[in-house]
Amino acid sequence: MFQASSLRLYLACIKNTLEAAMCLQNFPCQEVERHNKPEVELKTSPELLLNPVLICRNEAEKCLIETSVNSLRISLKVKQADELENILTKKFLRFLSMRAEAFQVLRRKPVQGYDISFLITNYHCEEMQKQKLIDFIVQFMEAIWKVQDIEKEISELKISVNTRGRLVATEFLKQFM
Amino acid sequence: MAVVDVHRFAESITCHAWSPDHSMVALCPNNNEVHIYKSSQDQWERLHVLQKHDQIVSGIDWSSKSNKLVTVSHDRNSYVWSFEGGEWVPTLVILRLNRAALCVQWSPKENKFAVGSGAKTVCICYYEQENNWWVSKLIRKRHESSVTNVAWHPNNILLATTSTDGKCRVFSTFIKGVDTKDPKAGSPAESKFGEPILQLDLSYSWAFGVKWSPSGNTLAYVGHSSMIYFVDDVGPSPLAQSVAFRDLPLRDVLFISEKMVIGVGYDSNPMVFAADDTGIWSFIRYIGEKKAVSSGSSYSSQFSEAFGKFYGQSKSATTNDASESSKSRGGVHDNCINSIVSLSKSGSPKVMRFSTSGLDGKIAIWDLENMEEELGHQF
Repeated sequence: MFQASSLRLYLACIKNTLEAAMCLQNFPCQEVERHNKPEVELKTSPELLLNPVLICRNEAEKCLIETSVNSLRISLKVKQADELENILTKKFLRFLSMRAEAFQVLRRKPVQGYDISFLITNYHCEEMQKQKLIDFIVQFMEAIWKVQDIEKEISELKISVNTRGRLVATEFLKQFM
Repeated sequence: MAVVDVHRFAESITCHAWSPDHSMVALCPNNNEVHIYKSSQDQWERLHVLQKHDQIVSGIDWSSKSNKLVTVSHDRNSYVWSFEGGEWVPTLVILRLNRAALCVQWSPKENKFAVGSGAKTVCICYYEQENNWWVSKLIRKRHESSVTNVAWHPNNILLATTSTDGKCRVFSTFIKGVDTKDPKAGSPAESKFGEPILQLDLSYSWAFGVKWSPSGNTLAYVGHSSMIYFVDDVGPSPLAQSVAFRDLPLRDVLFISEKMVIGVGYDSNPMVFAADDTGIWSFIRYIGEKKAVSSGSSYSSQFSEAFGKFYGQSKSATTNDASESSKSRGGVHDNCINSIVSLSKSGSPKVMRFSTSGLDGKIAIWDLENMEEELGHQF
């Protein structure tokens, strides 16, 4: 219960920050002729970048929002309590990243130190509704959280299966004693 | 009440400009073309498509006296279009830029125009009769980043610029042979070309829209930190005021009188700012309250409202409890408004009609005729 409400606060905070940060516009490159690139990726003109915002739920779960004049980068670090979760999250996020085109705003490679990154440019804001874009990111985070929950259940199941098996085996072997 | 007409012309509109009699509108549908529409009996008819640029058109201005269009684009070029024998004939202007051109405006006398660019320069272009050629003179001084907007002072000499380095600057653009010295104005306007008159360092973030009041006494510009700045007594000792507001930042401003300013931006709803008797500026209200839209008399605005509702519903349907409170905007525009253009007759002190265009592809025409008592200010 406590976890759920703290998650809600965390997501609400991210949502509000995104709302304020997603004020993007078409902005041609100042450095290269006839180019138009996301400034947050190139970082060639420091005056076109805003201060990044880091939102932490705890040490293991955080969200970095970097904004520039024409693009916005959101990087997530997802909780990985143990080895199993680490592997599962990695596999799951890799699965998504490999299909980045289908998601449009997903970055193919996460920013260093994070598990998954999104890149939103002014073109996305022109084509899509801003509110829906924000909802997508928030729902995505919820989805990851839910997937992890399911995995936890599976691993619990696995343990209970193991215990049951051991019990059955001992009972069965007792008759030969 | 406030909204007279709304029409969706394209997916997104980057900029628009009106013909001198306000019957035609030139707009860029977020690509390399300029479309000219004419209104006839509640219908918009596309008359011309101007294809000469090869990247997105970032600025259009239509001169009211000479009926000439000037367009600038990210492809670094500018064209002056004149209407000859039923066709728009382009003349290339060599801007001598090596980066994108971002904005353009005709000077009040329409013998010059200014182009802001990503090359951190401003071009002042004027016509040379003997060569039949538009010549560009560059202001290379001072700008440390892209010039996002330019505004001419009514005296045809002073030019205000905003830049992504957060500063607003005022330059003299006196060109020998084009401008004549005004004997009674012994002001800084008489200094030589490209001379910086003033540099305002009020904003911590990028500065965007800039405008002069009709008399040229006050200058207003906006910053990306949700602030709007008003400057009186432009000269050696300017008087500046900063007004912060709680909503998303503005992109452009328009003076509707000496004491009232409309700002448009990412909040997709125009905001009204006004000065009281002592000259203190403050935020008054939004212009397009939901009520104002629903009572709109014309068919198109009702339609757009229904459309907006539909979008609002589909938006809330996809959100679940953890991401509730997605507020549907429900206004006339449903994406960032990036330009506001006056629709007043030239020379009138008050702007009673204006139009806004935005990334949602709509152009909305607003009428302030009945707003006077509602705003209750010294309009």
